[in-house]
Amino acid sequence: MNIAVKKESNALVVTVSGRMDAVTAPEFEKSISGFIAQGEKVFVINLSGLEYISSAGLRSILACAKRLKELAGKLIFSGLQGHVKEVFAISGFHGIFKICDSDAEGLRAI
Amino acid sequence: MIEFRKSIAFRLARIFSVSVILIFFMIFGLYYRFTRRMIEKSTAENAKNLTLGTVMRIEGILRSVQQVPENMAGVLERGPVEKKQLLALIKSAVEKNPELYGCGVSFAPYSFDRKSLYFAPYYYRNKDSLSFAWLGGENYRYFVSDWFQIPKELGKPQWSEPYFDTGGGNILMASYSVPFYRKINGRQTFAGVICADMSLQWLREMVSSIKILDTGYAFLLSRNGNFVMHPDAKLIMNETIFGVAEGLGDKKLREIGRDMIRGKRAFVRIQQLDAGRPGFLYYTPVTSAGWSLAVLFPWDELMADIAHLNQLVLLLGTVGMLLLFGVVVSEARAITGPLTGMADATAEIASGNLDFTMPETLSQDEVGMLSRAFSSMQQSLKSHIARLTETTAAKERIESELNIAREIQLSILPKIFPPFAGMPELDLFAVLKSAREVGGDLYDFFAMDDDHFCFVIGDVSGKGVPASLFMAVTKTLFKATAVKDTPPEVVLGKVNGELSKGNEKAMFVTAFLAILNTKTGVIEFSNGGHNLPVVIRKGGSVEYLRQTGGMVVGAMEGVEFERGTMTLAPGDRFFLYTDGVTEAMDENKVLFSDERLLRELKLLEGLPVKDVLNRLLAMLVAYSKGDQSDDITMMLLEYQGPKSARINPAASRG
Repeated sequence: MNIAVKKESNALVVTVSGRMDAVTAPEFEKSISGFIAQGEKVFVINLSGLEYISSAGLRSILACAKRLKELAGKLIFSGLQGHVKEVFAISGFHGIFKICDSDAEGLRAI
Repeated sequence: MIEFRKSIAFRLARIFSVSVILIFFMIFGLYYRFTRRMIEKSTAENAKNLTLGTVMRIEGILRSVQQVPENMAGVLERGPVEKKQLLALIKSAVEKNPELYGCGVSFAPYSFDRKSLYFAPYYYRNKDSLSFAWLGGENYRYFVSDWFQIPKELGKPQWSEPYFDTGGGNILMASYSVPFYRKINGRQTFAGVICADMSLQWLREMVSSIKILDTGYAFLLSRNGNFVMHPDAKLIMNETIFGVAEGLGDKKLREIGRDMIRGKRAFVRIQQLDAGRPGFLYYTPVTSAGWSLAVLFPWDELMADIAHLNQLVLLLGTVGMLLLFGVVVSEARAITGPLTGMADATAEIASGNLDFTMPETLSQDEVGMLSRAFSSMQQSLKSHIARLTETTAAKERIESELNIAREIQLSILPKIFPPFAGMPELDLFAVLKSAREVGGDLYDFFAMDDDHFCFVIGDVSGKGVPASLFMAVTKTLFKATAVKDTPPEVVLGKVNGELSKGNEKAMFVTAFLAILNTKTGVIEFSNGGHNLPVVIRKGGSVEYLRQTGGMVVGAMEGVEFERGTMTLAPGDRFFLYTDGVTEAMDENKVLFSDERLLRELKLLEGLPVKDVLNRLLAMLVAYSKGDQSDDITMMLLEYQGPKSARINPAASRG
C-alpha cells in the first residue's frame, strides 16, 4: 500500500493505492492519525488506485471517521473503482460517507 | 591440551629469545671489534715507546763508542805523533771506556814511517787487564781486510757487520772504523783507520731483557739483514731475515725485512714468524749502526684478556638467555593459564552446562577483562535462556489457550446437521474455517417458533482474538434479539445499537439475517453490509440476491436497516457466505471472485448440501495453496416445502 499526500487550501488530499487489508490497514490508520495530530481535520481520500479493501480496511476508515467526528472534521472519498466501489456499496459505507467522483468535486463539496 | 611448541608461551619465549640473541650478538660483535682496535692501537703505542727507549739507549752507547776513535782521529790529523805517545793514547782510551773491548790504530802501509809496511798497535781487554798486540804481518795483511778497506773507500766512519771474535773468547763484536788523513804537500792523504771494537754482550742483555707478554720478544737485524740478536741463538749471525722469509715462503716477511734494513719504521701485522703464530711486529732503525730493532707481539696473547672476556660474556649471555626463556615461558603461562581454563569452561558452557562456574580471575589485565566478559556473557546467556524458556512457556500457554478458545468458539456454533429432527421443511449445512486459531466469522440458525426459522451469517472486521471476542458478543446478541415476531431489520437495528455503544476500536460486523417461514417459503431478510447471498433455483437460475446493502452493524448508532422479501419454492437453495470465499487469493493475489463462485455453484447443483460445501471448501483451500488469508464461512439452506408437501423424504433423516 502506498500513501501520497497533497495539501490543498481547505483539505488534505490523501491518495491511497495498492491493497488495504489486515496487514496494511493499521498503516493507513496510523498516518491519518498523524495528520489529525498535526491539526488536519478535513480529508479527501482518493481511492482510485486502491485495488482491494478488506473488512480490516473498512474498520480503519471507520475508526478514522469516528475520531474526525469527535473533532467536527470531515472525511470525503473520491475515485472509487471496481471492487472497492462494490465493497463500499455492500457494506453501506456509501450511505454514511460523502463519495465523489473526483478530488476536485470532493474539495468543492466541503 | 595444546602442544607446547604451539602454545603462546613457547612462541612468545622463542621470539623474545631470538630477538635478544640477535641484539646480544650485534652488541657483542661491535664491542669485540672496538676492543680489538683499542688493543691494537695501544699495542702499537706500547711497542713504539718500548723500542724507541731501547733504541735511544743503544744509540747512546754506540755514540759514546764512536767518539773514542773520532777524537783519536782528530788528534792524529793535527800532526805527527810519537810512537810512545800513540800507544799511551790508545791504552788510555781503552782504559777509560768500559764499553770498548779493544782499540787500535792501523796505518796504511808506510804511512807511519817510511820503514814500516805494517804499523798497527792494538790494545784489548784480556780478563781484567789490558793486553797489547801489533797487528799485521805476512799472515795478516790487515790493509786488505774489509774493516780497513771499506772506510777507506767510503771516506767516512763505518760500523762493521757484527761478528764473532774467534780469537778472544767467541764474543759477538762490532767494530767502528774511522779513516784518518794527513796533509802531505797540502793534500789530504789517507793515512789509516782507527778501529774501536765493542763487545755486543750488553746489547744482547738489553735486547733479550725485552719481554713482551709471555712469549713476545725483540730482535735486532744488522744492515745486511743478519740476525744480530734473537732469542733463538741458532739464528744469530747464521741467518738473515730474508733466509727465514725464503724458508717460510713468506713474501710479506721479505718485504718487512727490506723495509727494516732501509731504516723504515712501522707497525705491521704478520702471519707467522717462528712458531707460525700470527702477531704484530714493530720495527724502528738504530740509525748510527744501520741496524733495525723489532719487537714481536703474539696475537693470541695480546687478545688473551679479551678472549677470556668473550668466553665470560658468552657464558653469561647463554645463562641469561636460558633464564629469560624460562621467565618468559612462566610469565606467558601465568597469562595464558587462565585462558586455557576459560577455554575449558567455555566448552563446558557450550555443551549446555550453563551453571558451570568460570574460573576466578582477579587480575586487572586483558585476560581478566576477558574472563569477566565471559562470566557476564554466561550470566546474560543464562538469563536470556531463562527468559526464552519463560517466553516459550508463555507462548505455549497462549497457544493452548487459543486452542481452547477455538474449541469454545466452535462449540458456540451449531454443528448438528440437519439441525432439527422436528423440522423436515429444510435441509441445511454450514462450514466455518478460521484463518487463524480463532476467527471473526459467525453463523447461527434457530427456530423462532414452529413456523419461523432464523438464520444469520456475519463477518467481524479484522481477524484473530479481538475479532473472535466481538464475534462471540455479536452471536449472543443475535440469538437474544431474534425472538418471536421480531422482523429482521429490527434485529439488526437492536444489535447495531448494542454493538456501536462505546465501540472505541470501531469494530463492526457485516451480517445478513433472514427469517424463513417454513410454511410458505417466504424469506424476510435484512442486510447489514454483508456479501449478497446466492439464490439457487431448483433446476434454474443461480444468481445473487438483488438487494442494496445496508450499513455494517456496530459502526454507527441509530442506523436504520431495510427489510427485503423473497420466496423460495421447494427445492430452491439459499447460499450464504463471507468474503473469505470470494476474496480467497491465489499466490498472485488474484481473487476467487463472485463470478467464479456463481460458476462453481452452478456446476455443483444437485449435489447434497453437505457435499456442495465440502467440495467448495476443498476448492478454496487448493486455490489459496493452504495459505488462507481470511476466515471462510459458508451456509447452504434448501427449502423442502411445508411438512404436508415434502418433496424430499431423505431430509427427515437424523
